[in-house]
Amino acid sequence: MNDKLRAFSGQIVAVVIALAIGAVIIMLIDESPTKVFMTLMRGAFGDQAKIAGTLLQTTPILICGIAACIGLRGGMFNVGIEGQLFLGGFAAAWVGFAMPLPPGLHVVVAMTVAVIAGAAWVSIPAFFRTRYGTNEVVSTILSNYVAVLLTSYLTIFLFKRPGGWSETPPILATAYLPELFAFSRLNWGLIIGLALALFVAWFFRSTAKGYSISMVGSAPKFAEYGGIDVKRQGFMVLLASGAVGGLAGGIETLGVHHRFMEGFAPGFGFDGLIAALLANGSPIGTIVTALFFGALRNGSLLLETDTNASREIITVIQALIILSVSAQVLMKRRGDSTAGERRWKF
Amino acid sequence: MSTTSPATAQTAVELIGITKRFGAFVANEDVNLTVKRGEIHAIIGENGAGKTTLMNILFGLLQPDEGKIRLNGQDTVVGDPATAISAGLGMVHQHFKLVPSLSVADNVFLGMEIRRNGLIDHATQIAKTRELSERFGLKVEPEERVSLLSVGIEQRIEILKVLARGARTIILDEPTAVLTPQESRELFQTLRGFVAGGMTVIFISHHLEEVMEVSDTVTVLRHGKHVATRPTAELTKADMVRMMVGRDVSFDRRPREKTDGQVVLDVKNLWARDDRRLPALRDATFTVRGGEIVGIAGVAGNGQTELAEVLSGLRPASHGSAMLKGSDLTALSTAAIREAGLAHVPGDRLVRGVDGSASISSNLLMGRQNKAPWSRNGILDWRAAGNQAVEMIKRFDIRARGPEDTVKRLSGGNIQKVVLAREFTNDADFLLIDQPTRGVDIGAQESIHDEIMRQRASGRAVLVISVQLDELLTLADRILVMFNGRIMGEVDGGSADSERIGMMMAGLEPGIVSDEVAS
Repeated sequence: MNDKLRAFSGQIVAVVIALAIGAVIIMLIDESPTKVFMTLMRGAFGDQAKIAGTLLQTTPILICGIAACIGLRGGMFNVGIEGQLFLGGFAAAWVGFAMPLPPGLHVVVAMTVAVIAGAAWVSIPAFFRTRYGTNEVVSTILSNYVAVLLTSYLTIFLFKRPGGWSETPPILATAYLPELFAFSRLNWGLIIGLALALFVAWFFRSTAKGYSISMVGSAPKFAEYGGIDVKRQGFMVLLASGAVGGLAGGIETLGVHHRFMEGFAPGFGFDGLIAALLANGSPIGTIVTALFFGALRNGSLLLETDTNASREIITVIQALIILSVSAQVLMKRRGDSTAGERRWKF
Repeated sequence: MSTTSPATAQTAVELIGITKRFGAFVANEDVNLTVKRGEIHAIIGENGAGKTTLMNILFGLLQPDEGKIRLNGQDTVVGDPATAISAGLGMVHQHFKLVPSLSVADNVFLGMEIRRNGLIDHATQIAKTRELSERFGLKVEPEERVSLLSVGIEQRIEILKVLARGARTIILDEPTAVLTPQESRELFQTLRGFVAGGMTVIFISHHLEEVMEVSDTVTVLRHGKHVATRPTAELTKADMVRMMVGRDVSFDRRPREKTDGQVVLDVKNLWARDDRRLPALRDATFTVRGGEIVGIAGVAGNGQTELAEVLSGLRPASHGSAMLKGSDLTALSTAAIREAGLAHVPGDRLVRGVDGSASISSNLLMGRQNKAPWSRNGILDWRAAGNQAVEMIKRFDIRARGPEDTVKRLSGGNIQKVVLAREFTNDADFLLIDQPTRGVDIGAQESIHDEIMRQRASGRAVLVISVQLDELLTLADRILVMFNGRIMGEVDGGSADSERIGMMMAGLEPGIVSDEVAS
């Protein structure tokens, strides 16, 4: 427990450092950091609608974060969540507009297809990883480009709604993911995300499968020795991660946009990955970090009207967080190597 | 490179009244140590006796709570390793810190690269490495990549690193733990060369044979306290053990009942390749019966690892069979082999045997995560796992703060006990134990041997692979000797002649094709 606490204190320090450097940069553009951060806070949590907006942004980051957590815990670095999200989103939209079904069932089928699409998409890198040992980081990153462009192609050339926008026809109302409040597009996706985070956390802590997967992630040779089929687990982990990535896309189209638009959800997959890394691969921790990134995104909308800072400042802050987290990880590792040796035997 | 070593000082290192606490734990208590110039000074003691802490204090990696350090006769505050290095100290750690993708010379000069016009001057680095290598008799090929080299050569590189930084007093932390007997012997020769040239060597070990062989003076630590410093010549091995452990420990051959069990493991014409795809195990044929301990002797790297890996399903066999009570292990997955009745204590316990970052309970759960009472319907019962851990900690005398203690915090011997606890309590008919006591202190060695004998008495078939012949002579009913992938012959454990075994270990027995000996 103590160890966990210490690990997280490092992440908090990283965030504080990033915000501090961010403040300096804001000062450099002759704006007051206090004002910018207060505006961000107001933009994120200022009133009911703003909080709902923040939660709306948080939802896809959270679900993509969970997808990343699943991979990280199983020793697989799925950087292709963005692509899985796009394909899942498109697949759900397609079921939504092209396949009339009764209410309720329509949502379930569309979500299921989104999940399958995400899993199917990652199954290609997963196959090469398992069969030939191809590095999944590279192949999943590359698969993002294909996914984004493929969905653009499908949208523009095959399913384009007549009219000016590069988007599919709207989905039928039977496929809408119900909204939670009248004043916001915030929908059941958030509840699904929270439930999924709890489930995944429970799965890793309390099931035999979760134990096996964690062991593959943290000590693959030990897992192999202990009789766990390491390759199979790795494949399944990537598949599960991709499935959740697809789900995130499905929830965005069915809950928020009610259609698939080209470039409909930029960067959620990557934000989710960062949220998961910042949370050390803990799904519960990812709820907190996803909320943080969601708040940054939503709060930034107010930045351009109320301050001289551009909303890109939040991208800068995110990048700084990544940098300081990486630096922390490296420093910790260095500290560990000598500390480990000291501990090894007194 | 070292400028501050007045040759007049008689003592290279003096530690006076060193005390170091970690919280409530006292790692060193009022320890005094005087190392004379030009001697090989061994520091011995069980794991946890405070040897490494003391050396880390000397080298500036840790700061003492009390006491002072005198280097070359001068009071010195060793605030960091840089201070120690500039005073002519050098430390070779137990775990090497080399960059595998770089060349030998690049590793030697890592952090103090020789530059020309702002770029690394590889040619000079290589030349200087070669010069050091020749001067001190540490044979290396400066341009070779470290990832291709054996552990013994990696150690030479570590020593060269220290020499390149101008060390006159070299501290080696358990240098032989990873070496073959031959490599150890070469190392000792090098160390003797060092002291003959006026250098000083501090040598941490718990291999008493080696301490007897190589050191001039011995300091014994026990529970963080200084017990004695004596000339090695005045001591016997038994004296040292008594001082280290605080009681008499026996390494005589274990008494045993004769047994006549069924054949449990039947290996026939087994072949396997190593990672370079060369034949590493050649035509092994042997049996292990229930209630019998069969030992595999041999210098490390003569096919023992491959044999263990084939029997445990971690490496495919290229030919032959290994029947465990009717199932052929060569055709089964690791999981199926365990199901068929194998318990396996792996040779590289830190990589294969445990997940160092996980708790003791979690490590003891491996292989049981799908079995009652530890799990039902796929749901783990962590309370049952915790209870199991508490029980095992008690039964196997694992020194830990509790079942949730992280394994990597434990000492080597205690980590080994975690592995043994898990494997010995599997209801397996066949125990494969690779290096039962490597890196394990003497008190714990005895209890591990006790446990192995208990497994024998309960009727299990036991195969012990060890590079320590003493250990096999203590335990085994029969000893098979491996050389160059082949089983050279079999000797009776009770009447074994270590001379003859030694000959076979070196491949000197009639009946081998000569070109194989050469390779």
